[in-house]
This record gives sequence, C-alpha cells and structure tokens, in this order.
Amino acid sequence: MTNSVTDKKATTVDLPAAAIEDLRTGIQPFKEDPGSLLEALYVAQDCFGYVPREAIEVISEELGYPEAHVYGVVTFYTMFYTEPQATHILRICRDLSCHVNGAPKVIAAAEKKLGIHSGQCTEDREFKIEQVSCLGQCEQQPALLDNLAVHGSMTPARVVELIESLRGEGS
Amino acid sequence: MPEVLVVNRNLQKDQSWLLETYRRDGGYAQAERVVKKMSPEEVIEVVTAADLKGRGGAFFPTGFKWKLVRGDPNTPRYVVANGDESEPGTYCNRFLLEKDPHGFIEGMIIAAYAVDSHTGYIYIRGEYGQAIERVREALRECHEAGILGDGIFGTDFQLDIILRRGAGAYICGEETALFNSLEGKRGNPRFKPPFPTNSGVWSKPTTINNIETFACVAPILEHGAEWFKDLGDGEDNAGTKVFCLSGNVRRTGLFELPLGVTARELIYEYGGGLPAGRTLKAFKPGGASAGVLTAAEVDVKLDPSIMQYGTIMGTGGCIVLDDTASIVESAYRDALFFEEESCGFCIPCRQGTPNLVQILECILHGEGSMDDLDLLESIGESMASSFCGLGQFAYRPVLGALNKFRDEFESYVRASCQFRLSQPHILNRRFLKASPLP
Repeated sequence: MTNSVTDKKATTVDLPAAAIEDLRTGIQPFKEDPGSLLEALYVAQDCFGYVPREAIEVISEELGYPEAHVYGVVTFYTMFYTEPQATHILRICRDLSCHVNGAPKVIAAAEKKLGIHSGQCTEDREFKIEQVSCLGQCEQQPALLDNLAVHGSMTPARVVELIESLRGEGS
Repeated sequence: MPEVLVVNRNLQKDQSWLLETYRRDGGYAQAERVVKKMSPEEVIEVVTAADLKGRGGAFFPTGFKWKLVRGDPNTPRYVVANGDESEPGTYCNRFLLEKDPHGFIEGMIIAAYAVDSHTGYIYIRGEYGQAIERVREALRECHEAGILGDGIFGTDFQLDIILRRGAGAYICGEETALFNSLEGKRGNPRFKPPFPTNSGVWSKPTTINNIETFACVAPILEHGAEWFKDLGDGEDNAGTKVFCLSGNVRRTGLFELPLGVTARELIYEYGGGLPAGRTLKAFKPGGASAGVLTAAEVDVKLDPSIMQYGTIMGTGGCIVLDDTASIVESAYRDALFFEEESCGFCIPCRQGTPNLVQILECILHGEGSMDDLDLLESIGESMASSFCGLGQFAYRPVLGALNKFRDEFESYVRASCQFRLSQPHILNRRFLKASPLP
C-alpha cells in the first residue's frame, strides 16, 4: 500500500503550543459541569482534528479524571480519533436501506476516485472514507456525511462530483 | 386511514424551529397552565389516562413511569430526553429535533413538573449536526424568555435543561448506557434492577423518555386524554405513531398515522408502493432489530401486538425489500450493524455478533454448509443471555430471516442462488489489505 496511509500508523508531530492553550481555555467551563467529558473531547478534536496524547493529559489534569479513563472514553466512541485524520471524513452509510438503494456502488466509486480503501486516508490527508452505521438520513437514501454536512440521494456520479468540488475548495 | 398530525403538527410551518413561530399557535400554553394551575398528580393522571406509551420502541406506559419516579423519595430527580436515534431506517426524531425543538421541550417541562425535577438533559447523537444547533438555539431562546431557568412563567418552579452530544455509539440509545455517557463515561449498559426510575443519572431517580413521547405530552394536555386515546386504531392503541419509510419504496418519508395502521396501508397508500415492475418480498417493521416479515404478512397491524409474528414494533422505521433484494444479504447487513455497534461489555454479544457475521459471509461466498444454518440458530440461542437489549435483539433479525426464508438460505448453501452479491469486494473487509484496489 504505497499510495495511502492507514489510520493505524502512529504519527509523531509537534503539537502547536497555542492549540494546547486553546484547549486548556476551551475546557474551563466544563470544570463546573460534571459529566461533560465528551464535550471536552469535542473541544480537543476541534483544536487538533483528533485527540492526541497531550490533549488527554491536559483534559485529565484540568477536569480531574485519570488519564486511563479519558483514553477509555476516547476509544469507545467512533467519532473520536486518536490519530490524525483527513480534512474531509466521508462517512458513507452501509446499512440496509442505503444498501438496497445502491450504497455499495457509491462506496466503490468514492474508493476508486480517491484510490483508497474504506478506513484509509489519502496521502495528502484531504479525504478519508468510512463505512458507517445508519446516519438517520434514510429518507434520502443512500446518504453520506462530509464531516457533519449531509449529502443525500447519492449516486456514483454524484459522489465523484462531490469529491471534485470539495477538492476545488481546498486549493 | 388519513394522516393525523399530532407530533408532527408543526413540521410544515415556515421557520418552525423558532420560539416565535411555536408560541404563535399556542405553544407553551400547556406548560404554563400545568405549572400555574395543575398539581403534579393531576398531570400524571391525565397522561396515564391517555395511555401514552414509550415511543422509543419499548412501549412502557409513560404516566406509570413518571409516577414511579415521583414516588421515589430520593432527590434530586432528573428528566432525560433520549435523542440518540440510531436504529437503521429510523429518522422521525431527527425531524422533531431539527424542525420542532420546542414541541418536545414543552413536554419535558411538563414531565419535570410532574416528577418534581429541576435538571433535565437532552442527549442527541453526534451525527445530527443541524439538530444539535437547533436544539441549542431553542434552549437559549427558552432561557431568555423565562420558559426555562429560575421562576418559570413567573412561578417558583425552576428547571434547567442541559444539551449533551453523543459521539457515534448506537448502544448509548439504551437507557442505562446513555446515563453512563451523560456522566462522561464509556457507554456500557448497567445492570437492571435498579431501574432508571430509582437509579438513573448520577444514580438518582430519572425519567427517560423518547423525543417523540415528550412531543405527545402537550397535545394530550391541550385536548384531553380521551381525545388522544381515540386517535389510535384498536382497543389497546392510543395516539399516533410517526412511521419512517425507507428501502425499496417509491416515497420515503415520515407518515404520522394512528397506532395500529396496517403495513399494507403504510407501504402502498402512503409509500406509493414499490418501484415500477417490482413486487414486495419482505419488510422490516421496526429498524434493524425487528425480524423480517414476508409479503404474505403485509396486513399485520403496526402496533405492539406485532410480536405474535416474531418481530417487534420497534421505532417504527419500516424498511421495504423488493423481489430483487437478497434476504441473506439483508440479514448479513443487520449482523454487520450489530457487530459494529456491540459495546464489547458482555461475552455473548461480543463473541456472538462477529460469529454471525462470519457464518453469513461464508454462506454468501457460497462456502456455507447446512450445518452452518443450525450453527446460526445455536449462536442466536446463546446470545439471548446477553447483558442488555442490544445483544438480546442482535440475533433476531438473522434468525427471523432464517425462519421465514430458510429456502433462500439453503439455496445459497447449494450455491444455486439466483442472487449475486452487488459488490463482493466490500464483503472482504477482513482481508482489506490483501485485496486489490477497486
């Protein structure tokens, strides 16, 4: 697999000190709000695009959870990541309603267009494809989310179009 | 049977999500009346008399639940709205969250008053970006207008509602797992008993209801218990249910119909039937957890009594399958879903769900044997001992399909099936790295 990087590969990057400070400030309100760990993790993910080891340390320090607890929570929920992710995570539904309406072809078209398998990021970290459980958008089957933006009634042609237009915005 | 708009009454309005729009047509009048003029006992009495039952799929009597919470001397008590709608084929809560957030918030205020609670939580799945925005905005509007906070409607009743997001876990729709998630923990379920009515969020008495259940409350108080009871079709069915259609059907969408409507009416009259040239093969009345029903059973009533056909009413997310769909593959899709969403906490579910997937993969690849069909059954039986509802239901769509369409499973095994997999490479996900790029 030379043309892609898997999300399993550990990457060491120096995290910007400013982002760590942003995180520290961002989670201050949650000190007074018991049980708001998930919200704190959302803040961390907004700062870094994923939840790095350092963010877990900061959250555990500020909110008073053991690091192991925070790590346990991060890895439980599929929308939190412990490795760097792509700018656009294309979450394509693979459940029954979307499946019988052509989701497999949409997934195949997206994989072909980007040259990666589901679960992988492109080398430039612009795109990642995820096959996910039902997104609750079944009235516009098959559905996909670009991060959290909904795109319904997908076809192979439309998913290719979407990828092209998202690429255009980036450059 | 005509569509009756109770829960969905505001969805079509222009800018329906704004407080201004909601109040224009008498919104929050019921909450105000309840808080100012009714006793909590009277509220519970009305809701009990209306025979409102939990719309999340369990159909537990709502009035009785509130009575249990109120009867527990422990304080503080909590009110939780379950908006972690993740059942495949279900999207009725999403419309309410996005287009009528005030409708169910009013129900929550009434519930909080009835059980004497001063803190509420709304839990919404993380994928519902717009719903989260709209609810956050609605809560802000309510606090500003004195509908939430200290001294609601000028009385001394106080209520704060906190919005919490999930982060992609189906299991968090299970009530006790949701409590753990609200408390900032992994979303594993808890042992019951004690039940949430005695030990819910922060181990305090908690009433947890579905968004749709809360949305029924204000109309019940406005029009009376008898009115609501009469909306249902049949003795035991009170009120309406929002059905979501998806799959091989011409018109997908939400249809609010009397509880007890037949599947035939829903699929043919409201869904417009199947696409041209196709015929009905099977349908699932309540999301992935529900067992599949055959075309011959299309006249069943969609209400809790559907259990006699070996399926469940569930969330009302009806998935239609036409004659080109493969039942084995649909069972495989459901098995995959539960494998992905199993939280891994108890062994029958953690081991059982991937076992079902592996066996179905073999069968779909033409490598299955007749013994595998018996093995599916025995794995299913052992999964019945799972810790929570997820595992206890996860095997049922597979075994239900096997019971009703055994011929098709056998024909796959004999490798003489007329259906071919639409995309074989997607099946090979366990060998992803070895398989060539598409």
